[in-house]
Amino acid sequence: MASENTTVRQASDDGPSKYLDTDRLFGEDTSLRKALLVYGGLFVYFLWFLVPVVWLALSTIKSGEIIQAQRLIIIPMGENFTLGHFEQVLTDPQFRQLFVNSTIIAFSTVALTLFLGILGAYSLSRFDYPGRSTLLVSFMATKMLPPALIIVPFFLMMYSYSLVDTYLGIILAHSIRALPLALWFLKGFFDDIPKALDESARIDGCSHFRVLYHIIIPLALPGIAVAGFYTFVTSWNDFLFVSVLSQGGGTRTLPYGLYMFQSQTSINWGATITAATITAVPSIVLFALVQNEIVEGLASGGMHGS
Amino acid sequence: MASTEATLKDRVTRFSREADWYSRETWVGYGLVIPATLLMLLIIVYPTVRAVWMSFHQRSFLSPEESTWVGIANYEALLEDPVFTQAFVHTIIFTVGAVVAMYVLGLGLALLLRNNLPGVGYLRSLSMVPWVIPPVVIVIIWTWMFQVDYGLVNLISQQFGGPNKYWFGDYDLALPLVMMLRVWKDTPFVAIALLASMQSIPPEYYEAAKIDGAGAVQQFRHITLPNISYISMVMIVTEVIAAFNSFQMIYIATGGGPVNQTEVLGTYVYQQAFGEYMLGYAAAVGIVMLALLTLFTAVYIKVENTE
Repeated sequence: MASENTTVRQASDDGPSKYLDTDRLFGEDTSLRKALLVYGGLFVYFLWFLVPVVWLALSTIKSGEIIQAQRLIIIPMGENFTLGHFEQVLTDPQFRQLFVNSTIIAFSTVALTLFLGILGAYSLSRFDYPGRSTLLVSFMATKMLPPALIIVPFFLMMYSYSLVDTYLGIILAHSIRALPLALWFLKGFFDDIPKALDESARIDGCSHFRVLYHIIIPLALPGIAVAGFYTFVTSWNDFLFVSVLSQGGGTRTLPYGLYMFQSQTSINWGATITAATITAVPSIVLFALVQNEIVEGLASGGMHGS
Repeated sequence: MASTEATLKDRVTRFSREADWYSRETWVGYGLVIPATLLMLLIIVYPTVRAVWMSFHQRSFLSPEESTWVGIANYEALLEDPVFTQAFVHTIIFTVGAVVAMYVLGLGLALLLRNNLPGVGYLRSLSMVPWVIPPVVIVIIWTWMFQVDYGLVNLISQQFGGPNKYWFGDYDLALPLVMMLRVWKDTPFVAIALLASMQSIPPEYYEAAKIDGAGAVQQFRHITLPNISYISMVMIVTEVIAAFNSFQMIYIATGGGPVNQTEVLGTYVYQQAFGEYMLGYAAAVGIVMLALLTLFTAVYIKVENTE
């Protein structure tokens, strides 16, 4: 290692002593100028990414008078500050119903998708049979179908099975949207587990289900977390399928409720943005829990396809 | 003699046992993947086939039991429908514009996030925030930013003597704005995927290039770009399909307006089906979308493979 570093330093024009302090701060290959450029570039990106989000979050604690004031108030203080919007939204029975519906549907979707996905990915990763790779490609190809195209016959089908206005109809729709990518992620993670491990367990007389339960699932837990997160977000964030499959209203979820809030002619902005902020929180918190695995999952999922 | 017979018999049984084991394994393999496959067939493939069938019929939500065969009349009507043509053009502009922007911006972000400077590790995760926010919330965030009088954009714009208006209602700006929502949401995803791909490039490549005297631009062109070309293809295909199929954010943000300026094929199908109750016509538009996407993907993969 040490010898390699010396070669690199000699290759660059700058003597090591000149940038001694920045060396310690930024690593030896990075000059102060480069560091400033990187931070400057990132600053511009994050202005664009985060200012709207922070502005929304700050607006939820602004009192009714200043939330629509024609002057720039960034952080509300004193009488401008209120938790009234949160109180209003959280005590609203309609909002609670939407939240409960969203939660039931998202968790059921995750359970169903992971159950089917883990079995399917185990099969695609560990067995060799005719049609295996075609099957994998076909699963991915369904992602190409325009949702707007399948929604009409899908609605008619659900209608004929009396699954409109039921949780089950929405859960099935969401599971199908999430399953192809969940399968792909899971297969990628399963492929990383050495085959020798489960083959020796098989020789010792373990059944496939015991291999799956005692070897594959514990070792692929980070991958299962990624697939679970992706499935949760697919379901929690969906508007299209819920809007079509919830004719009555008993199964409406948060995105659909928000859509109705914001399409009214006189919008109650305080309540709307507060409800929107609360809706975004579960997705963000779950992401924070699995962020490291997501980056790895993207890397390994991509690599396996090559 | 007796011993050879015994070994032969042994070998036959062992062979048949093995063959038996293999075929049983195959069936277990099929068995495990069948539940997922069945569900996909039932809930995706069957409706798609039904949609093809519907596109040759006239059918209305008002009387969903009735359906008359009209041949290719729906497709002929498409060609003479000015709103369809508009929606088609908007979809192409939206898709090309959004995907080019998110790829260029995503590549730039990945190159920045790649530096191991203090704090950059946290920014990698933080950059994904737009990607995980529900689309409906994204629309609320940005329509709130652009509100007349009290939206942040108008507050700032007025400081500099700029206009004070609801920008999503602007005839010329509505389409670029809904494109921006899409780019805002997916740029981080593209960036993190490209970053992951860049991090798997062996550092020795760069060290060797440096010794040979290659500058930053040359290293980028000859080492970074070729090594991320596979992930770039995956990302571009995925994002083109997603942008082409866009529906949610556009529908919620503008509903296709003002005066059809943000009408794309996705919103047009929805509008025809659930607004006008023209199921057959909506299905025909959807089938055209599917055909175009299939063509694009086939051509792209072919081009990529020959390179």
